[in-house]
Amino acid sequence: MTNSQNNSSVVDPRGPKPRKIMSRRNIILYGTLLVVAIYYLIPLYVMIVTSLKGMPEIRLGNIFSPPVEVTFEPWIKAWAQACTGLNCDGLSRGFWNSVKITIPSVFVSIAIASINGYALANWRFKGANLFFTILIFGAFIPYQIMIYPLVILLRDLGIYTKLPGLILIHSIFGMPILTLLFRNYFTTIPEELFKAARVDGAKFWGIYFRVMMPMSLPIFVVAIIMQVTGIWNDFLFGVIYTKPDTYPMTVQLNNIVNSVQGVKEYNVNMAATLLTGLVPLTVYFVSGKLFVKGITAGAVKG
Amino acid sequence: MFNKVQLERFFVGSVMLAFVSLVLSIVGIKSQLFQNIQYLLLFISSVIVLLIGIQSKSINFFSNRLQKQILGWLISAICSAAIWAFAQKGIQSIFPAIMGYRKAWNTLEPFALYATVVFIMFALMLIIIGARDTKIDRPGYIERFLVYNLSSKIAAMPMIFTSIGIFIIATLWTIYHSFTNSRMLPKSDFIGLGQYERLWSSDRWYMSIENLAIYGVCSLIFSLFIGFMLAALLDQKTRFENTFRTIFLYPFALSFIVTGLVWQWILNPDYGVEKIIRSLGFDSFVFNPLYNADIVIYGILAAGLWQGTGFIMCLMLAGLRGVDQEIWKATRIDGIPMWKTYIQVVIPMMRPVFVTTLVIIAAGIIKVYDLVVAQTSGGPGISSEVPAKYVYDYMFSAQNLGQGFAASTMMLVSVLIVLIPFAYLEFGRRKYD
Amino acid sequence: MNSIEINNLSLNFGDVKVLKDLNLSVNKGEFLVLLGASGCGKSTLLNCIAGLLEINDGQIYINNQNVTWFEPSERGIGMVFQSYALYPQMSVKGNLSFSLKNAKLSKDEIEKRVKHASEILQIESLLDRKPAALSGGQRQRVAIGRALVRDVEVFLFDEPLSNLDAKLRTELRVEIKRLHQKLDNTMIYVTHDQIEAMTLADRIAIMRDGLIQQLDTPKIIYSNPVNKYVAGFIGSPGMNFLKGKILQDGKPIFKLEGGWCESPDLSNYKFQETIKVEKEVWLGIRPESVVVGGEAENMPVNFNLEIEVFEPMGADTLVWSQIGGQEFRFMVDVNTSINVGGTLTVGFDPAHASIFDLESEERL
Repeated sequence: MTNSQNNSSVVDPRGPKPRKIMSRRNIILYGTLLVVAIYYLIPLYVMIVTSLKGMPEIRLGNIFSPPVEVTFEPWIKAWAQACTGLNCDGLSRGFWNSVKITIPSVFVSIAIASINGYALANWRFKGANLFFTILIFGAFIPYQIMIYPLVILLRDLGIYTKLPGLILIHSIFGMPILTLLFRNYFTTIPEELFKAARVDGAKFWGIYFRVMMPMSLPIFVVAIIMQVTGIWNDFLFGVIYTKPDTYPMTVQLNNIVNSVQGVKEYNVNMAATLLTGLVPLTVYFVSGKLFVKGITAGAVKG
Repeated sequence: MFNKVQLERFFVGSVMLAFVSLVLSIVGIKSQLFQNIQYLLLFISSVIVLLIGIQSKSINFFSNRLQKQILGWLISAICSAAIWAFAQKGIQSIFPAIMGYRKAWNTLEPFALYATVVFIMFALMLIIIGARDTKIDRPGYIERFLVYNLSSKIAAMPMIFTSIGIFIIATLWTIYHSFTNSRMLPKSDFIGLGQYERLWSSDRWYMSIENLAIYGVCSLIFSLFIGFMLAALLDQKTRFENTFRTIFLYPFALSFIVTGLVWQWILNPDYGVEKIIRSLGFDSFVFNPLYNADIVIYGILAAGLWQGTGFIMCLMLAGLRGVDQEIWKATRIDGIPMWKTYIQVVIPMMRPVFVTTLVIIAAGIIKVYDLVVAQTSGGPGISSEVPAKYVYDYMFSAQNLGQGFAASTMMLVSVLIVLIPFAYLEFGRRKYD
Repeated sequence: MNSIEINNLSLNFGDVKVLKDLNLSVNKGEFLVLLGASGCGKSTLLNCIAGLLEINDGQIYINNQNVTWFEPSERGIGMVFQSYALYPQMSVKGNLSFSLKNAKLSKDEIEKRVKHASEILQIESLLDRKPAALSGGQRQRVAIGRALVRDVEVFLFDEPLSNLDAKLRTELRVEIKRLHQKLDNTMIYVTHDQIEAMTLADRIAIMRDGLIQQLDTPKIIYSNPVNKYVAGFIGSPGMNFLKGKILQDGKPIFKLEGGWCESPDLSNYKFQETIKVEKEVWLGIRPESVVVGGEAENMPVNFNLEIEVFEPMGADTLVWSQIGGQEFRFMVDVNTSINVGGTLTVGFDPAHASIFDLESEERL
């Protein structure tokens, strides 16, 4: 821009150092990033393309070629007609089960974890840190070791293979990381504010609802994002603590795609896969930076 | 005989011990000892209440300074008594509505009974203490335990329940039962190391361990390396940084099931990569990782890396952004080339980030289950089995609980091997900060 | 001979113009302090000189060489940062020798330079320690040492003492001054602390909104500030500003807005231009130049003032008062007996005051 006035003075540099856009550094930098980005995008592209083709076209062409004839038939079939075992009412049942599991689980787990985090951050009592340490250890030890006793517990409570049972399980296993998230957040709120509220006569619950909660809306949003994607994507708990009627979407998807009977309809499979991934993907693209904040918050500070 | 403080400590201690023995007897350790000791301990506690009462010589309810708390404990006692009552046949026949949850009431019955007794004791104790300690500098042990910061303790109940009731007890329960010959149902017959002997002589378990080791080592190295490289590339004041980050991270929002199914499709030899390369003229080209027992685990690895590397990149990027910008300026003044700055200055500075990331990756690796189920179901044959799947299959399909328990205990042990040094390092470091 | 010369330097961050057509030249061996409130562009200017920020227009000469397009390491500068920016994983010795190793100097030469620098800074006993095991003051010495070993012409300091506590700051300040006297390097020093500026500088450049307001010796900046901003920025407690008009009554006099029995005679004040009658001005008087009691009666202007508030500050007491509804502060000796509501006779010499245009705030 400003270089134009002194293009004659080669020996007398002025203003910004001229840079080539196609410098070696830029080619390597953006070239690498572009190649990696393509690698990351290919599966999504393949899913979309395959789900829009008819079966004959799939058999003839390759998975990367765009559909010649766009058809939404596989999507309809995946949603309403695909079979798992004897049931042939498609993924819709799993979708609604997942909704019925996710919404209460998110609500319950966040309510519990935020209050726990608040108690840990501001109202510490003797022994609180011991319980918290155990809780955090619980996040790292393999779930497999706790699965069966929980089956017994749910069976004893009469909610094994029912939705409330799975909701309880998600609330329990969501607790460590969420409690950590909330505790870390509440400790960053200036302690003076908390002290001022106490001097003004507010008690435990008063401070929580009137001071802490309104101040921590962002972290609640982060927690909701984490939990919605986490619970929606869960497979292990779904497959253990539910039965075909109450299978969440991921379990049903796996059963549809990996069922051995019948002809494999790849387009329907990919449509079903996309449908299942749609909810977390939507959450991801809408939430943007908050998603990143959620997944790194627990890790970096903890 | 005993002074005030000792008696109060004994009281709290015996109530807690009674609770522990109650839990132990409930979770299936069928020893008559625990059944009886629980009542004995409760009896001792009530004797202590009596002793403290006699020592203080003053009982007064109506002008008690702890009146609110006493009422609270009494109401709690009534509530738990009600839950106990719901489990009784007579009450259930009067209110048929509660019959539907019969199972739940029956499970809760012993706890409710215990709670009723203990809550009444608490209330009595507070009546005594409230009347006794009217003008004191420092509240007694029981008062601090039962009255101080009570809302916080109640609010933390879910955490206490989860950490002790689920994480500790369930883990110990599983470890205990891994020494039994439980098949369809858990049994308490102790058979020693039999399950472990069987486990370690099973080809399938060896295969699982080997796969996990390959997957684990590769995934650690590659995801750390690629994740750091990508983060470093994005940290060059790169244009479109947000776009690139969004692309690298979106697979992390997808479930392992979706990931596994997509990659199953891409690696499908009849339609996927192999077919495309062959159609380009390389007729003998072979690339079917999911159908070749020798390399199937690398097929799974490719999918796993696709899903998780973006997350590692984000952690690394957060770490890089945490490096003091003046350090970068100093290296430019000192004339240190960029690659050298990364290797000699930045990476050593990011050691804590690397350690945390390492633990997160390691904890994720051991849990690998969904990905394998979706992509190969353990096949071909048993060539892509992993420990988590071994556990699930033995517990829920093969009706051999003991094997599942033993395998899951082995998983726990391997995690502890990673976790304990990490915790040691973490706490060791915090001392210096 | 100029050590550093900056011609028409401009820098924008997006649409924000941070530095605007700035010119500056620094003599060889001079200690120049860039002083200003935060956000005035002083650190930005330093980073431009160092080559850490790419400029949008202008030229930078160091030692009569045009370094505008040079990399920071090629410019013959050393820089000391606020956060010290020591490499945490290396020992003090490693920190000092890192750049030399990179420049492929011989082992003996490196050894010699590290030894020399550590002797000057008295950090020989710390050479094997890691930065984490050093105190703030020691860390900053090492940071200075890192610039010292590179044997450069120009030292750049970016608020080097801001992270230290008050006592250490004073100690290290003297240390830096001593270092400058010993080394004869050109030094440019950025700070927001006027005491650091006054004590260290050969010349001070006061910056505001990306422009240099005044560039002169500390003494002149203190006694003859070019505008009201500089006048208010330098000096603690700050200068009193009285709003009023200049009238002509055979001689120029100052008439206070709001009324005042006194009309200070300005005939001894050195105006830089001829003044229109009725010109609205600020009359600036430093609290330190106000005298009280017997001394006051010898002053051209003296009057009585009622004391509103007083703040004992050790050797002196700062007294708050009002003249015609405008705030007026002055210093008295701590032994003067004063009480709230009492009166004091105070006086000052208008010849040593400063007069600024009301609108442009420039010195008249």
